[in-house]
Amino acid sequence: MVGLNKATRVAAALALGIGGSFVHGQIPAGDAASRQVLKTAAVEYLYPEQVTVAAGKASDVTLHFRVAEGLHINSHTPKDEFLIPTTFSIPDGTGVRLEQATYPAGEEFTLPVDPQTRLSVYTREFTVQARIVASPGNHLVEGKLHYQACNKSECLPPKTIPVAIDVIGK
Amino acid sequence: MKRNTVVLGVVLLILATFAWAGWANWEYRKKASERLLASVAHGQLVPGQAANGAEEVPVFNSPLKGKPAPGFTLEDLSGNKVSLASYKGKAVLINFWATWCGPCKIETPWLVELRNQYASQGFEILGVSTDDLDYDNPKTLAKDKAEIAQSAQRLGIDYPVLIDGATLDKPYGGPDGLDAMPTSFFVDRNGKVVAAELGLTSKADIEGNIKKALNE
Repeated sequence: MVGLNKATRVAAALALGIGGSFVHGQIPAGDAASRQVLKTAAVEYLYPEQVTVAAGKASDVTLHFRVAEGLHINSHTPKDEFLIPTTFSIPDGTGVRLEQATYPAGEEFTLPVDPQTRLSVYTREFTVQARIVASPGNHLVEGKLHYQACNKSECLPPKTIPVAIDVIGK
Repeated sequence: MKRNTVVLGVVLLILATFAWAGWANWEYRKKASERLLASVAHGQLVPGQAANGAEEVPVFNSPLKGKPAPGFTLEDLSGNKVSLASYKGKAVLINFWATWCGPCKIETPWLVELRNQYASQGFEILGVSTDDLDYDNPKTLAKDKAEIAQSAQRLGIDYPVLIDGATLDKPYGGPDGLDAMPTSFFVDRNGKVVAAELGLTSKADIEGNIKKALNE
């Protein structure tokens, strides 16, 4: 700013200040985002979209999912019999059989209002390892992930989302 | 002088860019807000203040507030028909819950205590389970009902538990239905909804709304 007159410095400072406020305004509010996902899917399937496996042989495929910010879903082994576990399945007749699904251990989670009750949940990104056996050929598989999501104060009804994978058995 | 002119020109350009970015951002947020409002037309969360003033908590604004509570007749766990109309003259808390709902498990003991505290003044709670029921399979249906009963017993619920709350999804939740548990509606002695709560609030909040329903 050396060599600039006072008016120019003020204008430059104003420009930076106004710019900063616009940038701040573009950051979405966490609550609004969390609230919005309550109306959409709490969990999103990320990848892979396509896998090539040896036909007729058991192959491990790691499926990646993301839980929306501010939400958690029960792990595959929740600590209460009434809580709904997260499960992955592949319908019959798709040319691909799910031999086994291996789930990660849940992370411990407590609600601030009830610190004694420890939940086992998934947050952010998690994976499910699916051991599949594919018959020869190209199979467009629509697997299913069943889960039940909550935030710190409310719970969404259980939901099943499609997990679309193009499985090539060679 | 020439340098000042250049800097001023750059500043004006930056300002124009920010003005455009601001307008674009405003348009985007306006559209996003309209989409969100359209999707939650049945109820809206607005910022509020926590009891201790420390944290901002959302307040549930249901369009049912100030309107007559939609009437219904549901079965209780014993198979008896229970209608809201039969509670006219009493203040009623209609509490939508589910066996899989963690926050409901925290809230329910508060409800049991408050019901016992205010029952003598003409207050009742109807716990409406939103758990799915498989009417196509009698065996599964019996299991579903048994699980609700078991959960209610474990939570110490001593007020009527009604099943098949999904049928009240639209009347109480609007076009998109009741999207989260717990959700409560406080109905006064004349059958009018005086307050609504979405999600876990606090025992004090619930008590305050019970008093409203009792017109204390």
